[in-house]
Amino acid sequence: MKAILKYSALLLGLAASASALAHAPFCECTALDADTIRCVGGFTDGSDAPGVTLDVMRAADNQVLMPGKLGADSSLTFKRPAEDFYILFDVGPGYQVEVEPSEIKGI
Amino acid sequence: MSGNSKLRRQWLRWRFHLSALLVLIPLGFMPQYFHEAKLDRGLRGLGEREIGNLQVGPWTARMAEWEVGEPEDEGRAGFVKAFTLAFCDSCSPQVKAAYLRIGQPRSLRAAGGLFAGTPHQQFAEVTIPARVTPADQLWLTVEGWDGAVHQAQIPLDQASPSLVAWLEKTRSNR
Amino acid sequence: MSKKSRSRLWFLVHSWLALPIWFFVFLVCITGTLATVSQEIVWLFDPAVRANAPDDDAPRLGYDQVLAAVAQQQPQAAVHMLSAPSESHFALLARVTYPDSSSAALYVNPYTGVIQGKVPLFDFRQFTRALHGWWLVPFTHGFSWGWYLVSLLGLPMLASLVTGLVVYKRFWRGFLKPTLRLRQGARIFWGDAHRLMGIWSIWFIAVIAITGTWFLIQAVLYDNAISISSEGVPTIIQRDSIPLSADGKAPPRIGLDAAVLSAQQRIPGLEPTFFRLPSSAYDPLHIFGKAWYPLMFESAQVNPYDGSVASTRLLGDRSGLEFVTESMRPLHTGDFGGVWVKLIWFVFGLILSMMVLSGLMIWSKRTLIATAKQLKQQKARERINVAATAETSQ
Repeated sequence: MKAILKYSALLLGLAASASALAHAPFCECTALDADTIRCVGGFTDGSDAPGVTLDVMRAADNQVLMPGKLGADSSLTFKRPAEDFYILFDVGPGYQVEVEPSEIKGI
Repeated sequence: MSGNSKLRRQWLRWRFHLSALLVLIPLGFMPQYFHEAKLDRGLRGLGEREIGNLQVGPWTARMAEWEVGEPEDEGRAGFVKAFTLAFCDSCSPQVKAAYLRIGQPRSLRAAGGLFAGTPHQQFAEVTIPARVTPADQLWLTVEGWDGAVHQAQIPLDQASPSLVAWLEKTRSNR
Repeated sequence: MSKKSRSRLWFLVHSWLALPIWFFVFLVCITGTLATVSQEIVWLFDPAVRANAPDDDAPRLGYDQVLAAVAQQQPQAAVHMLSAPSESHFALLARVTYPDSSSAALYVNPYTGVIQGKVPLFDFRQFTRALHGWWLVPFTHGFSWGWYLVSLLGLPMLASLVTGLVVYKRFWRGFLKPTLRLRQGARIFWGDAHRLMGIWSIWFIAVIAITGTWFLIQAVLYDNAISISSEGVPTIIQRDSIPLSADGKAPPRIGLDAAVLSAQQRIPGLEPTFFRLPSSAYDPLHIFGKAWYPLMFESAQVNPYDGSVASTRLLGDRSGLEFVTESMRPLHTGDFGGVWVKLIWFVFGLILSMMVLSGLMIWSKRTLIATAKQLKQQKARERINVAATAETSQ
């Protein structure tokens, strides 16, 4: 990672975000109350992810329960589903974050 | 000059030696510089520790742990570990993409970290969320251009003993 | 404070900004001066780097022809980056990997496609950059402390420039009446030389000090995960945009030349200098080039399956702040305008190094002498005191 970061950023004088591995995606979810969840997504270099897909998935069959996209503030607030679910922050194939209900902060 | 503290006198005496010390720093780091230059050339092979050959469906691939040791702390993205992969020469043209995940993937859509790089050395990072235990397996999912999907598993203690050691050390209170 | 003692204070600050670590500052300036022309030095010593044409009107090869030539000479090599320097006397650079996972950077002749050689393990250009930029201290997590050490010097350099101009009364007169007294002793000579070089390099010292300080800010931002980038989410070719293939082989991908044409329709006048080939099935082809503004790159991300331009990053896409910050590095290194700009940076880099050296010469001649005198006077006073107390105690 260091080698790729170094070559991309320094030797070529280009922005460090030239390599996808240089800034990893993250997604942090908090339970605002018993029924509402707010997720914030972004990249570890500090940049935001407005408009990126954030889908709430049904755990039983991996179908999309609630399709969504992050707003301009890089967050999405939605109602907690009744069935077993997980959250998928999807930038692209192999470039995602899965959030389990147990990883949601709050409740 | 009178009434000076001991510290000031020491500063006055040694300040020019500071220059000499600063000059010695790059000399001291030269061996590491050349060592890293060699590593950047891939002269250490696929990765620091070869895991071995994997059979994934009709294809074979060599896999390696990129850097032995604890996973990297990527801040808000959590802990990540990098692995490398290289498909056999005749397999490469048939493979569309490969993904890596700790634990069985739920779907092809969320199959894990994407392997990207050159055909001879592709990199993928797996996240290590709280649910991961030393008994877990590393799942490799491979998509072919013909649409077929194949998977292979490697026990974590085979893929990265250093990761298992870290898990046991930091998550022993489970 | 009287005018005289205020002047003296400015002078003390000016001399103290560089003196304790003057040798370190001097070396940083010298290594930087060397780094500006490191690429040219390599060109002088290594014929493999040169883009010699077989004859006067040989045309340059297209990019696809270059890739084909590399593939023909080294079938095992996989190219992932191709660099076509805007200075046409340099050969093309192709970064490749081999089946044993080793990598190399190959020099390719742009007229004949012949692989002339490769970047040696001791990469002089990279070495001078590493030595000057981060004092060879390795990067482990985040920016190396050597980077901080060197870039911190930007602040005292800037303060040195300001205090120096305050101390040099009516410095603008020096432009019309250049003084360099060679026959009145070393102290006078170094003083004149320091002032003469100083006023002519005000612009350069300001550029280097400010851009050097930017590198410090850049490291602080990065290490604290603060991004000022307006670049947005990385461009990924989504799964459903990729054509299916019936025969189990990869769908055809467009060549570099066709991709350049496609990009030029979106960015008229784009002259590509750098290609990043797709690193996965979902990665677009990245083409970088410069428009009218020599300090910054524009880029296009091209879908390799249908040749459409998936995204672009133009000068107009940058925020005002980014315009400033992205201009910093090329202004510091001087590699934005070909060999003549580099030579200007090289000459003024030498002058700046001489500024540090001459500053020390003046200090050693002036302050050392003054300090020696003061010490002598003090010793004389002490002897008198001792004698006086000896008398009174009797």
